[in-house]
Amino acid sequence: MSSHWNRREFLKNSSTATLAALAAGAPLAGLLSGCNSTKINATADTVILLWMAGGMAHTDTFDPKRYTPFTKGMMANDVLSTFKSVPTALDDIYFSEGLESIGKVLNKGTAIRSYVAGDMGHILHSRHQYHWHTCYKPPQSVAAPHIGSWISKQLGPVNSVIPAFIDIGQRFSLGEGEELKAFHTAGFLGNEYGPFLIPDPSEGLESVKPPVGMDISRFEKRNQLYNELMNQGPLGELGSDYQKESMKRSMEQAYMLLKSPEATAFDLSKEPKENYDIYNTGKFGLGCLMAKRLTEKGARFITVTTEYEPFKNWDTHDNGHTRLADMKKQIDGPIAQLIKDLDQSGHLDRTLIILASEFSRDMMVEGRPDLKVQEQVNQPDIIDDIKNYGMHRHFTDGCSMLMFGGGIKKGYVYGKTADERPCKTIEKPIRIEQIHQTIYRALGIPEDTHYVIEKRPFYTTPDGLGRAEMDLFA
Amino acid sequence: MKDVKNKSYPRKKLAIVISTLVILCFLQISLNSYAESPTDNVSNDFFWLWRFLGRLHPIAVHFPVSLLLFAALLELFTLKNFDAPSRIGIRLLLAAGTIAAIISAIMGLLLVKEGGYELQASNIHQWTGIGTAFFSAVTWFLSNSIHKKNKRSLINLYRVLLFISAIGVAIAGHFGASLTHGKDYITATIPWSDNYDKSINSKFDVSALKNDTTPLTKQQSIELNVKVRAIFAHNCYKCHGPEKIKGDLRLDRRDMIFKGGENGPVVIPGDPAASDLYRRITLPSNHEDAMPSKGKKLSDEDIAVINFWIQKGAPWPDSSEKSIFRLAPLAPRNPTLPIATENLKNPIDLWTNQYFSANKIIWPKVVDDNTFLRRISLDLVGLVPSGEELEKFAKDNRKNKREIWIRKLLNQKDDYTLHWLSFWNDALRNDYTGTGYITGGRRNITYWLFNAIKSNKSYDQFVKELLNPTDESNGFIEGIKWRGVVNASQRTEMQAAQNVSQVFLGLNLKCASCHNSFISDWKLTDAYAFANIFADTSLEINRCDKPTGKFTGARMLWKELGAIDSSAKREEKLAQLATNMVQASNGRFYRTIVNRIWAQLMGRGLIEPLDVMDNEAWSQDLLDWMAFNFQKNNSDIKELLFLITSSNTYQLPSVSFNDASKIISPQYVFKGRLRKRMSAEQFADAASTIITPIFYDSMSITYVDKKAVLEEIKKQKERQEKKKAEDKKKKKDKNKDKENIAREKKEKEKKERKMMAPKKLPPIIGAAFVRASLVNNNPFLISLGRPTRETVSTSRESQSNLLQALELTNGDRFNSMIQRGASIWKNKYITGDVIIKEIYQQALGRAATKSEYTIAKKLLGETPTPDAIEDLFWIILLLPEFQIIY
Repeated sequence: MSSHWNRREFLKNSSTATLAALAAGAPLAGLLSGCNSTKINATADTVILLWMAGGMAHTDTFDPKRYTPFTKGMMANDVLSTFKSVPTALDDIYFSEGLESIGKVLNKGTAIRSYVAGDMGHILHSRHQYHWHTCYKPPQSVAAPHIGSWISKQLGPVNSVIPAFIDIGQRFSLGEGEELKAFHTAGFLGNEYGPFLIPDPSEGLESVKPPVGMDISRFEKRNQLYNELMNQGPLGELGSDYQKESMKRSMEQAYMLLKSPEATAFDLSKEPKENYDIYNTGKFGLGCLMAKRLTEKGARFITVTTEYEPFKNWDTHDNGHTRLADMKKQIDGPIAQLIKDLDQSGHLDRTLIILASEFSRDMMVEGRPDLKVQEQVNQPDIIDDIKNYGMHRHFTDGCSMLMFGGGIKKGYVYGKTADERPCKTIEKPIRIEQIHQTIYRALGIPEDTHYVIEKRPFYTTPDGLGRAEMDLFA
Repeated sequence: MKDVKNKSYPRKKLAIVISTLVILCFLQISLNSYAESPTDNVSNDFFWLWRFLGRLHPIAVHFPVSLLLFAALLELFTLKNFDAPSRIGIRLLLAAGTIAAIISAIMGLLLVKEGGYELQASNIHQWTGIGTAFFSAVTWFLSNSIHKKNKRSLINLYRVLLFISAIGVAIAGHFGASLTHGKDYITATIPWSDNYDKSINSKFDVSALKNDTTPLTKQQSIELNVKVRAIFAHNCYKCHGPEKIKGDLRLDRRDMIFKGGENGPVVIPGDPAASDLYRRITLPSNHEDAMPSKGKKLSDEDIAVINFWIQKGAPWPDSSEKSIFRLAPLAPRNPTLPIATENLKNPIDLWTNQYFSANKIIWPKVVDDNTFLRRISLDLVGLVPSGEELEKFAKDNRKNKREIWIRKLLNQKDDYTLHWLSFWNDALRNDYTGTGYITGGRRNITYWLFNAIKSNKSYDQFVKELLNPTDESNGFIEGIKWRGVVNASQRTEMQAAQNVSQVFLGLNLKCASCHNSFISDWKLTDAYAFANIFADTSLEINRCDKPTGKFTGARMLWKELGAIDSSAKREEKLAQLATNMVQASNGRFYRTIVNRIWAQLMGRGLIEPLDVMDNEAWSQDLLDWMAFNFQKNNSDIKELLFLITSSNTYQLPSVSFNDASKIISPQYVFKGRLRKRMSAEQFADAASTIITPIFYDSMSITYVDKKAVLEEIKKQKERQEKKKAEDKKKKKDKNKDKENIAREKKEKEKKERKMMAPKKLPPIIGAAFVRASLVNNNPFLISLGRPTRETVSTSRESQSNLLQALELTNGDRFNSMIQRGASIWKNKYITGDVIIKEIYQQALGRAATKSEYTIAKKLLGETPTPDAIEDLFWIILLLPEFQIIY
């Protein structure tokens, strides 16, 4: 009988209804039955996801419309953009004021202006973020893996000492922290493929250094004695087993990472000062710098977030205009520099950089024009106070994304939104399963990648239906 | 003369209308004799003309009947002036529409007799259609009366009937469209619609098998059949399934598929080339006969699977015989115990003895005292024995000392409870933090759970209180509710159905809660009928998240388990469920828990996976015997634990595997308990015991002391009353503005959420340290395998990984603990020799060997520094010997 059948037969009995394997501790991930059909040529090895957490208004960022400056007594419904438009590297393509630097490198990537976010009723940011990152709408009867975990599972690390999935900038002690945790997970793929969390990039080095107060020689000695005692112990008589083997292996890996030269990638102080200063716009900017350094040393999937905290950062329920001016200062320089630096070091060709947000915002429409949901922001029809001047409602029908490198077209604009309210997608709507499959395609991961869990196939995108958008590729 | 003519004209008309209706009724009745059911019996001797006319029905109807709608619309514009110039037009439209309605009703009856349509939707369409024809005819008659005889008093009645007819057209039209094209015909064409036409392509590597000429094993047949059914379900059922039976072909049932369609058999087992089904799916999609005619062409791989399936004789479960899916018997069974031998008294050992002799296994010697004590301590109370205890146990000379010590551990009530709390928290998806709490969509049951475990509540009572809960125990069946719209298969009632069947019956209802399962015989209606028990009213059945317009009553999954009164209130249904579930004759229910407890102790269930209780046990007799006697013995969990741990079977040396996959392979042979790795909680608690508490700080802890909880509830009530009084006062104040109201609403919501959130209180007084089962989930415990409890979890992952190793190597929680512990030990034990002796004794339950001592001494020296002690702690706690339970 072919081994294929044995494997299937075995898995039929082994795929548990509980995500984990045996109480005894079966190595879960190794037991999952998967299926990869055809091999695709990858155009990227690394993915960097720049996450604009909280809902980034497209008309005030990468898809500006008619600008109406603030005046007391203005009609809210007249306002489409609260910033001027500024030129980009492409003719007739404009970004919103404050994003000039990113605009200047648009000739190295593609702006997507037609992302349509999922419809999930009464808006809860963390639910839409869950959907964006896993491609599944919560709740699910099995724990859905983060896209970074899928990639980590399918491809493993680029450099074996750098964790395959690194998550920079998100703390979980904030509002909706539990909901954020629910998708920052490898789910049924198993902890091994979960995110390596660096909540604060300026302290990232701590994560890959020997414990506080331990110098490297003591660290090395400790490890050496550990190995000696392990080998000296009477364990040999008891025979080897998979738990012991996996413990030994992972301890070795951890040791390698912590004392490897690559660990310096986490050390931002090693960056030349003039470059460091460009990135140093705050936590997000430094996260971009760390992403750059890790990419150059061989990372697989990195996500850098502006951090989600209810009513903070991009989650503009008030003062949208003034707050966006600040947000742009945080992101514009570092993102442009990240692209330039990776381009210069030759990594951009094999690194797919994506900028995205869970949905967009609009001043008037909550949800979609034809599918409005419960409003959460009180927007007066006549604006007297600048705090009401901005995109404050949650809009899902037209969102902007950026993609750079990794085989993506250079100097291209994909899709279109209407120029008048509602500024919804009118050309080439693109949904999350297409985005995910485009990323997988770039990495050479087949569309039908799935694992059998609880006897059901669980695909990277629901039912394995998503298709990569080939128009985005060069 | 004129008068007479005027009188006779409508009468003639009326006569025609009535006779037409009579013909309709006649057709309806007489044609029934042709076919009892349109799905089962489509006669070939059906007169061709009727068939032809019948098929004209859709064309003949759709346009002219809509004239009635148009007539009604125009009528709206003449409401003020009946004699408006459009009157003549309305009358013409009415006449044409009425005639069309009558004709189409006749043709429709002919078509439905020909068959191929789903019964329910077809019935609605049929009767609304006939009704429309009737009402429009009467309307027409009235219209003529008004016009010809100037009976203006009839205008209102006429208008009412006209609008009824128009509504009838709309309803009949809707159901007619669903019949012809399926319910999601229109939305399915929109790519960004949520209903976008989907099809799962379960890939199946046929190429690996193609050249294999050996016949399929039973297991392979099942696999193959499931693949084929998945392909059919997602590509064909729309037109050839329970809802619609195009061409008289149903592909969802064995009898139907081999009966074939109107053109005869479609599958010739063993001969793909001769099978019409195979011919059609391989035709180019523009060919007239190509299938699927409406959806996408099947992928090459799917076609290959079907080809292979037919070639192999088209295996399919025979509903009249045993199902292709193994279904374990439901009833309890009490096999006769093998006769006791001189050495073996424990019933478990008698069964094992029988199993061993059948498998030619010789009983090994049971483990030594140290291994035994460490094993039962960790298994029963989750703690490592102290050095003193090990010594005391070794010196205990009583013959039945092992049994005595098992009893002793089982009587350490708090320790026991705090160990098993983790097991139940995982299974009941009870956690102190997690999704849902933020919007009040989740409830915590820790207080109830803690007391239920501590009082060793009988298992039947335990489950009854979860199924028919109080406010303290309702968290399990209430599930997790996220804000916004959720998939129908994840509504909280369905979550309850899935979780209850998984945890208490070892049954996977997740597939069937979306569509008829193709990995078991469970149907969508079974899942909904079970979910309805947890619902206030009957839930509308959704198939793949699309409403079907159908409903079903409330039922147990097995009718043998008793009835549920569908019309009863939720509380009554839950009470019936609770009683039905725990009844003695529900053998599966007791087998499921016995298998879970067995797996907790032995590292592997008698049946694996634990949630698939339809699989075979490695010893059915042992499982059945234990389950039967567990139930008879007041379903006492502690007694079950005693029975197992006091057996020689439990005390056999542990068995190790190099390849974990062998553990759950069907060829598994029981030779003894598996080597297990400590759980996250066991590891944390062991470190806390030996060195210094790992959880000691302000980390939020869920407390379960009754007095404190009662106090908290009292405080909450006081606060509420105070707030109420304030509110009353405020209400008097009439100057409340909008913002104020909104703020109050928010505060109220916040308060409600707080009520639902777990109660955070100080740790148990008197406990040496905070047990890990009580602390909020955190990166340290997660990395060691504690699940997030967003979904039910009945087993733990215990393989190491890099993230876990990193957490232990430089993670703050672990390293700060050993750092604190080092100073304490330095002051307590002072010299290197004592420290080495103590750490080996306390952590590993033995003295260091000579070479181990040499290495450790090299590190510590005579008077060790705290750093050196810290490093030794780290080394010892990370040794596999420490973390593995032998």
